[in-house]
Amino acid sequence: MTWTCEQTEARLSDYLDGLLTPDERHEFDMHANTCEDCAQFVASVSHLLTGLHSMEQVEPPPLLIYSILNQTLGPRETKRGWRATFGWLSGLTSPRFTYSAVSLAASLAILLAASGVSLRKPKLADLSPVNIYRSVDRQAHLVYAHSTKFVSDLRVVYEIQSRLNKDNDLPSTPATTMPQTAPGKSPGSTDSTRPDAPRQQNRANSIKRELEVLAMEVPAVSGTLCGQLLRRRIP
Amino acid sequence: MLAPGNFGVKLVAVAGFEADDTLEQDAQLVQQCLQGDGSAWEELVRRHTRRIFNICYRFTGNGTEAEDLSQEVFLRVYKTIGSYRSAYGGFATWMTSVTRNLLIDHYRRTKRDRITDSLEDAMPMVENKESAGRRPDQQLLLGELSSQVHTALTKLSPELREAVILRDLQQLEYNEIRQVLDVPEGTVKSRINRGRIELARILQQMGVRPS
Repeated sequence: MTWTCEQTEARLSDYLDGLLTPDERHEFDMHANTCEDCAQFVASVSHLLTGLHSMEQVEPPPLLIYSILNQTLGPRETKRGWRATFGWLSGLTSPRFTYSAVSLAASLAILLAASGVSLRKPKLADLSPVNIYRSVDRQAHLVYAHSTKFVSDLRVVYEIQSRLNKDNDLPSTPATTMPQTAPGKSPGSTDSTRPDAPRQQNRANSIKRELEVLAMEVPAVSGTLCGQLLRRRIP
Repeated sequence: MLAPGNFGVKLVAVAGFEADDTLEQDAQLVQQCLQGDGSAWEELVRRHTRRIFNICYRFTGNGTEAEDLSQEVFLRVYKTIGSYRSAYGGFATWMTSVTRNLLIDHYRRTKRDRITDSLEDAMPMVENKESAGRRPDQQLLLGELSSQVHTALTKLSPELREAVILRDLQQLEYNEIRQVLDVPEGTVKSRINRGRIELARILQQMGVRPS
């Protein structure tokens, strides 16, 4: 397609605004590079656009807005006396300001409580950076210690539970499961007149041994949890 | 030769970014105005005064006339805001349309007087020069060029002048200009093209040459 000078003039804005297709742009450039008149023409309009886009917004006269408002809303009364001084206080009753103020107060209270400042008996010394740091550090260590102890206790309980469950699943020794020669005694039944029946005693002994092993493995809690269990009489 | 597409990308980026946010805020303010909220009207005035004033100033070339016309625009908008419908487009577009109609009316009314008026009587306006990293010599050259372009604009016919102002100074999209001028989009593009070419010829006649 041979690009003409008429086409250059007709599509100049599209070219400068980047609206030509790649083929059209190529044809346009080819023609502008070979036609001196079109090259000058394109350069002058490009220069014009540079000037147009460099024109900044002009500031309107300062009183224009007030003049417009006077003509539309009417003359605005000027506040005098104490109304002029304290008129801004009316803005404090807006819901947005109230909500923001309450949120800010709550956040401050939470921060002060977390930093160890007593809200009932506040002291100026509590607000010093050193005291705040010490208080926060102490709180953090306490929280860490409680968490560690909690996790450790959970582990102990889990160990005990798993060993008890394992003990219940263990097969009994032949000697202990051999039914005693007693008339009318069905297998597996217990005789309440003989509390130290071999099966129950063996189970109790097994639990005791397990708890002793556990106490050795977890010495930190042996004085509290396992020790109490060991002292209990297992029927 | 400048690289093509730079101007179009800049125009689209600026207009596209502001469109959605401004449209929603304007719509809310208009609703509040219709319910009698004076502070909403005040906010609308503050948001649009600068833009309307600049359209009037670039069209008339005269600061005093631009001030008077801006007041007339807002007065007319205040009286007819009840007739605004979102189907007309954004509130800013509708307001620009009212401004344009008023400018054309003013142009026709003062056609005879314009022949004897001198541009030297125009109130000098100070442009808000944001240097944006330009060197002082560049700033001076651009300032001189923009002053020459401002003078050349007043010599353009009204229909070409308004098209160039809305596209190249107000960065409106073709679709918005179509709504403002109430003409087909092809006519908008044609007027913008002819306006730019005619403006370049006027500058050449004034002795302004591309650097």
